[in-house]
Amino acid sequence: MSEHLLEIRDLQARVADGGIEILRGVDLVIEPGEMHALMGPNGSGKSTLAKVIAGHPGYEVTGGDVLLDGKSVLDLEPDERSRSGLFLAFQYPAEIPGVSIANFLRTSLNARRSEEEGDLDVFAFQKLLNDKLGLLQVQPSFAARYVNDGFSGGEKKRNEILQMAMLEPSMAVMDETDSGLDIDALRIVSEGVSTLRGQDDRMGVLLITHYKRILGYLQPDQVHVMLNGRIAHSGGPELADQLEEMGYDWLHEPEPEPVG
Amino acid sequence: MSEVTTITEPGAAIDAQGSLERWIQSRAEPELLASRRREGWADWLAEPMPTRRMEEWRYTDISGLDPEAYSPVSTTGDRARSKEDLPGPVREVLDSDRKRSAVFIQHNGTVEHVRVDPDLAERGVVYAPIDEIAGSHPEILERFLFRSDVAQSERKLWALHTAMLSGGYVLYVPKNVALPHPVHALRYVDEAGGLVSSHSLIIAESGAEITCIDEYLSPDLDAESLSLNGVEIFGAENAVVRYLALQHYGRGVKHFSMQHANTGRDSTLNVFNVTLGADLARCDVSAHLLGPGSESEMLALWFGDRDQRFDHHTLQNHAAPHARSDLLFKGALAGQSHSVFRGLIRVAEGAQLTDAYQTNRNLLLSDKAKAVALPNLEIEADDVRCSHGATVGQVDETQLFYLMSRGLSRPEAERLLVLGFFDEVLSRVPLEGTRERIREAIELKIGLSR
Ligand SMILES: Nc1ncnc2c1ncn2[C@@H]1O[C@H](COP(=O)(O)OP(=O)(O)OP(=O)(O)O)[C@@H](O)[C@H]1O
Ligand SMILES: [Mg+2]
Repeated sequence: MSEHLLEIRDLQARVADGGIEILRGVDLVIEPGEMHALMGPNGSGKSTLAKVIAGHPGYEVTGGDVLLDGKSVLDLEPDERSRSGLFLAFQYPAEIPGVSIANFLRTSLNARRSEEEGDLDVFAFQKLLNDKLGLLQVQPSFAARYVNDGFSGGEKKRNEILQMAMLEPSMAVMDETDSGLDIDALRIVSEGVSTLRGQDDRMGVLLITHYKRILGYLQPDQVHVMLNGRIAHSGGPELADQLEEMGYDWLHEPEPEPVG
Repeated sequence: MSEVTTITEPGAAIDAQGSLERWIQSRAEPELLASRRREGWADWLAEPMPTRRMEEWRYTDISGLDPEAYSPVSTTGDRARSKEDLPGPVREVLDSDRKRSAVFIQHNGTVEHVRVDPDLAERGVVYAPIDEIAGSHPEILERFLFRSDVAQSERKLWALHTAMLSGGYVLYVPKNVALPHPVHALRYVDEAGGLVSSHSLIIAESGAEITCIDEYLSPDLDAESLSLNGVEIFGAENAVVRYLALQHYGRGVKHFSMQHANTGRDSTLNVFNVTLGADLARCDVSAHLLGPGSESEMLALWFGDRDQRFDHHTLQNHAAPHARSDLLFKGALAGQSHSVFRGLIRVAEGAQLTDAYQTNRNLLLSDKAKAVALPNLEIEADDVRCSHGATVGQVDETQLFYLMSRGLSRPEAERLLVLGFFDEVLSRVPLEGTRERIREAIELKIGLSR
């Protein structure tokens, strides 16, 4: 049997330099081509999980493992993880005044190319960029703006998806990309994600969200609920409906497994 | 550099004076220049050597500077007959297809090439080596050369620059003539251990409009060379002068640049310094707002690495009312490089309704890099708007992680952040070709192009 696309095994992590423990044993497996949704109350650790997967230096892994295509990524730098196919669409993307989106994207794409391949040809880049801007129905002038500088909440989210579309990851983690998008933008972004998955049927997505609206567009294979740093419950798409109706109170944290 | 042979010692001075005279003879130069040279030499002997006890020199120790440790660069080279005679790096800059209204090339002390758009020459634009101007337009030199109000702290080196003058140009643009393209001067030094003292005298008569570039280049030199550089800009009423100094010498050079820009009534001035090269680069940049209603913008970027020392001192000298000046200096420092920014806004008693702003920002890319920022105000008028501010900061880890999460290695991400940091200044350069030239030089220095 082929490897899992993403496997998270009993992952434990805390804030770096001996800070508080946030992830307390997360288990999650995503197979090629699957889309999983991750829900859970504020502060339960969803974004922390996303950032730990991406290699954020602000967190320290104290146990467990994260494997991409069967290989642990924990020893890889964030850029190496990205070049291995991981992508994180941030809940709160950083603002980088002075660096245009186009320049940033060109540098990112070139960083993936080998010495022999050399830099991407300007025209090839422009064409790729125009295609993706079209896919997400974004004005071409958008790419000339500084990365997230002065962007509205929705524009930042679109920029994340534009980057994802350009970099074509094999495994994308989307952290609350739907929050802040208006109704049309949500549809456009969802269609964009579907198109990307259509182009690469092995692409996996972990979609962190509070709302089932986006799940209506994207139809996850599984829905997980995180409570207090663990996956407390998993189910099919119907779980999202239940959560919308009943909230999280009826769920309980899993008992710690007996040691030994 | 060897220890001080105290040149103020009587015996040494006489010797040096003797060799100065011999040097003047050998250059067979017009009396106008020779007398300025002698005056400069007398001032050099009379002025005290700056020490670190002087506020302006607290962070840069030049007490051991001994001009006799360098040999004056050769001035007797032949003019280049064709492009192939020019040094490779100079050819490279010329080969870029940017449009220029005039070009000046100096190789060590020799002016190898000057070309002015013939249409402009016909309209009275003069662009020629200083020596030549002394013969053809002495009145220009009489009126403007070494006429700037040089601060006490600068006089010692200004005097040495005057005495040792080796090359440089005069750009004179008559009334209401607008140059369609930049005037580009390239100075290339490859004589190790040499002393080059080059001057740029830029005059824009009323209503004239110019963009003027001084570019300084050299390979890495294995014996220390001294580059003394004076710039004087005179913009008459309503003139628009944009000046860029792009210094990307190799290592082994000590560079001192003393720049004085003087604004006439309602004139506009923009002075932009890009400091990338040399072991030690000291830039004293002064804007003298002499005309009411005039406007000055001073910009600078520097990127230091290894053990480079950059020292930028600025003066926004508001002598007239209703004038406006803005300053934005940004530096990034890697390795063990250090930089100093010391800026003064001075508003004279009668300079009411002055608007003056000053900002210096520094980005440190390593624990060993250091930046000192000393903004200052000296205000004698009461109806003014002034502000100043300075910051020293590190690379933002959140931004760095964001870029790295898209596949950029840490050095690549840092370089992109540096360029982003610089963009605020770079985007103020109106001419795209000039902006690109600066960007290229910076990218080369920070190694972005692979
Ligand atoms: N660097 C940090 N320092 C201190 N506490 C942190 C840090 N990062 C996360 N936390 C805490 O860890 C908990 C989990 O945060 P996280 O951002 O992962 O939650 P979340 O599930 O994404 O919440 P939301 O739904 O509101 O986005 C929170 O209580 C948060 O305050
Ligand atoms: Mg979150």
